[in-house]
Amino acid sequence: MSESLFIEPGLQQVTVWARGVLMNKDARDIVVGLTEAAAKEGKHVQAWENYVDLPDRIYVPVRAYAKISTDPIESRYVYENDAPDVVVLVEETMVKGLAVLDGIKPGAVLVVNSRRSPEEVRGFLGDTSGLSALVTVDANSMSKALMTLSGAEGATDATGIGAGISAPIAGAVVKATGIVKIDNLANVVKNPDAMKRGYNECKIMKLEKTQPKKIKKITAQERLEQLPFAGTVPSPQVDNRGMVTGSWRTQRPILDAEQCTGCGICWIYCPDACVTRTDDGLVTFNLEFCKGCALCSSECPTNAVTMVPELDFKD
Amino acid sequence: MGKIKRISGCVAAAQAVRLADVDVISSYPIRPYTGIMSELARMIADGELDAELVYAEGEHAQLSVVYGASAAGARAYTGSSGVGVTYAMEVYSPLSGERLPVQMAIGDRTLDPPGDFGSEHTDAECCRDQGWIQGWASTQQEVLDMALIYYRVGEDPRVMLPQYACQDGYYVTHILGTVDIPDEAQVKEFLPPYKNHHVLDPKHPQIIGAQIEPEQGPPMQYQRRMAIDNINPVLIQAYDEFGKIFGRKYDPFLEEYMTEDADIVMFGQGAHMETAKAVAKRLRNLGEKVGVVRLRAFRPFPYEEIAKRMSKYKAIGVLDNSAQFGISGGAGVLLTELRTALYDVGDKVKTVGFVAGLGGEVVTHEEFLRMYKKLEDIVKTGKVEKTRYWVPFEL
Repeated sequence: MSESLFIEPGLQQVTVWARGVLMNKDARDIVVGLTEAAAKEGKHVQAWENYVDLPDRIYVPVRAYAKISTDPIESRYVYENDAPDVVVLVEETMVKGLAVLDGIKPGAVLVVNSRRSPEEVRGFLGDTSGLSALVTVDANSMSKALMTLSGAEGATDATGIGAGISAPIAGAVVKATGIVKIDNLANVVKNPDAMKRGYNECKIMKLEKTQPKKIKKITAQERLEQLPFAGTVPSPQVDNRGMVTGSWRTQRPILDAEQCTGCGICWIYCPDACVTRTDDGLVTFNLEFCKGCALCSSECPTNAVTMVPELDFKD
Repeated sequence: MGKIKRISGCVAAAQAVRLADVDVISSYPIRPYTGIMSELARMIADGELDAELVYAEGEHAQLSVVYGASAAGARAYTGSSGVGVTYAMEVYSPLSGERLPVQMAIGDRTLDPPGDFGSEHTDAECCRDQGWIQGWASTQQEVLDMALIYYRVGEDPRVMLPQYACQDGYYVTHILGTVDIPDEAQVKEFLPPYKNHHVLDPKHPQIIGAQIEPEQGPPMQYQRRMAIDNINPVLIQAYDEFGKIFGRKYDPFLEEYMTEDADIVMFGQGAHMETAKAVAKRLRNLGEKVGVVRLRAFRPFPYEEIAKRMSKYKAIGVLDNSAQFGISGGAGVLLTELRTALYDVGDKVKTVGFVAGLGGEVVTHEEFLRMYKKLEDIVKTGKVEKTRYWVPFEL
């Protein structure tokens, strides 16, 4: 009974995924831009960032949310959007290895900031059931990404909304969903030209109607049963199975064995101990945990390590 | 009139500080209240606020800074969350006893262990016996309004006491809500300048907080008790003036939502009661006679008001978003104090405690539904099997 009792039919949910520190601002601008535009249309709105994704580190997945409704929003005090109508990925690699489609409503739309085609991006997502459209927009060619802490932790954003890549991405969202009127969004963002480029130049791939897969949620009782005494846990000694970070990576280090002298400088500099020196005098990279910081590449004296976009690899 | 903006509870608090033209602010970072201080720092840097911002070396120092500032005649402001609130514990009683009306924002947060940013009322409720004014705002608008009202009441010469302006961490501090930001002129009309009875001044030296013998104890404490007794009449007057000047009317003690003919109400404070209202509205649509009573004043606890207005219900569910381990009744402080307030009506009103939302976990619509259902069972059977339920393990 309770599932149907609390339905909010007029409510649309937008969930934005981005990479920590570098892209929070643009993620925030997308949700604030859309909600401010919707407010101009008399909608009830709420915008916020995922509380437990912060404080963030560079590249860690972080999320921002918008709720836009024809009626006063009843599900106000929650941590996440439980049923997104729109999912936005500010960085393309997030299609790989992250549960970005969990909980989507049937008919949801995915918008990805990428130079690649929707067809190519779709290959990484696995089960796309529930999606009605997949959109790519090359926002980085239309505007420059913005990095600032202004507006973090609930404080006022002193730099304005929508000057970075958020503008074209929000434009693409509007084109694919009509969630707000483009003119209202143009009046909110600082770079309306970039916004309109995103609107006009995004690529939309329509998908067949399917039902999204059901997500099983862990219950509080299950958490209680799994809880060790006083919450004390063994400290990781080799690697931390509880925090496998390969999905933070946007680019992958590739070794040119011809150039590698086995000097071990990359092994020294890797902040995450992801370089192993091998018996044949070379090195290998632990791709389970490598976050793609590229220190190995920049420190290599023989240019033996190149950073390659992660989505160039199917694995 | 005002300016309508979508801002977080942190920014709403900072706006109130700006409007109140606070003189001295002491800052130390801890989530989730920290946004207030970064916003105030930005306001000062941008020339929107003229104030002294002191970066203290810890929360105990924070409170000591505003202690000195207020004693020297400055309107002072500080804030904290979680274990920061408890770290400063030593300073709260002196601030109250020496009648220094500083305002402390508490963006509430679960106490360690382990580290958890999520909201709980426990941290601020630990301070409930310190002799301060205290209450929870449940919306971003209310954060701004209560901050102004608290300075007005706290600095009133009949009161002259410090205030904890509490808001739910994350839910209110971080989520954006619609706020009507008043004009400076309106605030000037509402809030007179701070003028204490005693002010540290080299020209007129005084001893504040002198050493005493036990014989002075009872008079000192009773003098403070009389000041506490003055809070409620001044609170009523201040809210009345506030309503006239700003156009927003608040009941100083209890916000009643759909209670006119209600048999059953949920009672609690802070953000989760907004969720309770949404559930009550849905149940009303199904014909159930339910409502919500949201407590707006935690200290002084309005026990006389509660006895007068809440004795009519058949059952009251008390939401405690806190962990007061070992307390009488086994739930939290709101259950214990509500039951004391309703002592004279005894078994006529069934009361049950629900401890929920611990660690900052969401109190869901479904959980409120189960609470209302439990209260309905109690009204039907006339029996209270358990006086408290820790949600979601026991309900």
